[in-house]
Amino acid sequence: MHALAASKICKRFGGIVALDGAEFALDAGEVHALIGSNGCGKSTLCKIIAGAVGADAGELTVNGERVSFANPGAAAARGVEMFYQELSLIPAMTVAENIFLGREPTGRNGLVDRGRMDASAARLLAGFGDALGAGLQPQATIGDLSADQRQIVEILKVLARPSRIVVFDEATAALDRDQVAVVFDRIRALKAEGRSTIFISHRMDEVFAIADRITVMRNGATVTTARAADTSRDQLVMAMVGADQASATQPARHRPAAEEVLTVVDLSAGKLAHVSFALRRGEILGLGGLHGQGQSDLLRALYGVIPLRNGVIAIGGRRFQPKWPIAAMRRSMAYVSGDRAKNGVMAIRPIFENLVVSILARNRDHVVARGKLGALLQPVVERLKLKFSSLEAPVTELSGGNQQKVVLARLLATEPAILLLDDPTKGIDLGTKADLYAFMDDLCAQGVSILLHSSDDKELLAVSDRVLVFNAGRCVAELAGAERNELALYRAAYLTERGEAEHA
Amino acid sequence: MLSPFTKPATAVDAGGAGGWSASRSRRPYLLAAAVFFVLAAINAILQPTFLTFDVAASNLAAFLPLTLLAIGQTFVILGSDIDLSNGGIVSLVNVAVVEIIERFGDSAASYAIGIAAGLALGLAAGALNGVCVAYLRFQAIVTTFATSVIYVGLALWILPQAGGQVPPDFYNVYAGAVLGVPNVLLILVAAAALALVIARTRFYYALRATGGNMQAAFFTGVPVARVRLTAYVVSGFFAALCGLALVGETASGDPLIGGLMTLSSVTAVVLGGTSLAGCVGSVTGSVLGGFILGLINNVIFFAHVPFEWQGLIQGAIILAALSGGVAMARRGRN
Repeated sequence: MHALAASKICKRFGGIVALDGAEFALDAGEVHALIGSNGCGKSTLCKIIAGAVGADAGELTVNGERVSFANPGAAAARGVEMFYQELSLIPAMTVAENIFLGREPTGRNGLVDRGRMDASAARLLAGFGDALGAGLQPQATIGDLSADQRQIVEILKVLARPSRIVVFDEATAALDRDQVAVVFDRIRALKAEGRSTIFISHRMDEVFAIADRITVMRNGATVTTARAADTSRDQLVMAMVGADQASATQPARHRPAAEEVLTVVDLSAGKLAHVSFALRRGEILGLGGLHGQGQSDLLRALYGVIPLRNGVIAIGGRRFQPKWPIAAMRRSMAYVSGDRAKNGVMAIRPIFENLVVSILARNRDHVVARGKLGALLQPVVERLKLKFSSLEAPVTELSGGNQQKVVLARLLATEPAILLLDDPTKGIDLGTKADLYAFMDDLCAQGVSILLHSSDDKELLAVSDRVLVFNAGRCVAELAGAERNELALYRAAYLTERGEAEHA
Repeated sequence: MLSPFTKPATAVDAGGAGGWSASRSRRPYLLAAAVFFVLAAINAILQPTFLTFDVAASNLAAFLPLTLLAIGQTFVILGSDIDLSNGGIVSLVNVAVVEIIERFGDSAASYAIGIAAGLALGLAAGALNGVCVAYLRFQAIVTTFATSVIYVGLALWILPQAGGQVPPDFYNVYAGAVLGVPNVLLILVAAAALALVIARTRFYYALRATGGNMQAAFFTGVPVARVRLTAYVVSGFFAALCGLALVGETASGDPLIGGLMTLSSVTAVVLGGTSLAGCVGSVTGSVLGGFILGLINNVIFFAHVPFEWQGLIQGAIILAALSGGVAMARRGRN
């Protein structure tokens, strides 16, 4: 009997299939690693196991007993606890308050015993010894801690709970070697007590160091499960890619000019560290790798949304100092975020207003001449095949894909020379995606250059002329020509070890 | 550099590590305490009798209703919600209690029925707010504004015009003293003690977590909806206490008495160092905030500010007190 078993789990988010018949089994006292590329469904599967997301179909059993978790509290009651990639900390509360949230120790009067809570937290922290770093104390506020310290608190919060099954979703991503070693000691201690661990990491060395078995997921389904001793890194990467896709090379696409429209030298901003590259006229340059390795930070830094720490940027040979989005717009850049609701559309407002806002911002127009603007928008709207009932209809009436077209049309009306696309097709249906790809090709033919970050690896390889692969904020590989295939992309993204990435 | 994406500073952003900012995030009412003492000193200079027993007791009686209201509002705001109906609840409880006591006559039983009914009304009104906001997921600002219109409407239906009269025994108790300690002080101490006990329950930690990051609280297994509902019920309860205190203070009912107190209660909470974004704050601060608003009125009165200038001066002092907090928060961050 398995400690936990998931079978035929299906889950859709809108039109997107996240899980399609996923299978997973976890034994008592086992450390089971779950790996797969971006968007393969491993996080969604874990969230279903931990009760944070409900499954559309499929069966979940704990110790052979069928269960259905309505919320994380229900899963916790059956001994399932999950680490949520920094999602479950309260920034304005203290370390001790966060670790014991919902389970605060109480005195005989039924009131919370702060002293005991802080003392218990101090004991948990002491296990990390020198690996903690400065300032990580029970009474420190979470918001004042560094990313690795927050991650340690999050791990302790999970470990402090009386669980049978612990899910670590990229729990070690922000930790250094010493900290990872302490976490592994804890996982081994859980194992010795007969407790089970599901371990998600994209670092192969960690997976092989701790896991008993490894399950690979691809496109929302389970591909293979193997004992760690019986498999190799190359076999796993191959399983993640799929034999048919492994070396399918993409045909050459555009004919970029030799002229460099954007040059970046030694840029550091946000997670990004010392990145240099050049974007040619009429080229689509892809930014690939695992989620959150600095790709978005690069685009946002160029657009003046996050500050630069270091580096030189030149547009058309002329120095550019990004400070505000409006400055980037005046140097012919335009930025489109995949997070439409947050950074794109103005909900409820009419489509017309959503379309003209960038023109107005760039031109500093104070009086709006509707007719003139309409004439300016007409060609863009036609080229994008934008479908709507009326320009006065609220933009939120449109599908996600058409909303994204509105955002794009708005920026294109300012006639940009460089497009910064930050995962622009996230959550968009296939038909609209095809429209957008065709449109990007058109733009390149006209001499527009595009920096494209996409969490969809297939899309990235198919659309880009070259792909830069990012790992831990560094650019670790450039894939051009025949190297533009999934195997090369995954090798660069997954097999670059922590130390190598840091010193690349 | 201040980018457009920098969050607006409030008086109470959790500060950085160490020193003043750390003590501020642990004791967010420190600045309010400083403002309170400055205003008290000015008041004492302008009004030599300020520190006498009688004046202190009458000041306390005058400040108590708003302070009670602010204590209740604190809990809702800590959960990152807001209660714009607490003034409406005050009005409703105020007139309902006066009507009930008038109807049942001058007896201890009549008072008990009136007080119990008033508290029950407050709890029920708070529960209605909480159900709408936490379970039906209506917007807190709009919902509680709408329910406030309902509560004031009910108050006007019960008592269309200010009036009514409670028996002297009722308001004499409010103005009276036990063993030389004014009853208003006893009421305040009891209310503050209750609030401080609540602040040591698991509910309070769950409430702050909900206000600090609702999604994270949910993922941790905090019953977020129930916690938010409870905060509104607590706010309704303290609004009822405020309504009862006003009966004692004015000896009569007024269906419009609570209307202006709503935003004053929010102001008192913010002056007391509680963040409108939730999570950070304290009841102690809100008590000080209520006192600060009362002292500002005193100072303006005793400084003989002409009537037509009073509103302007009052607003300016409140703004100055708030900006002090913002300046501190900025310095704490840098």
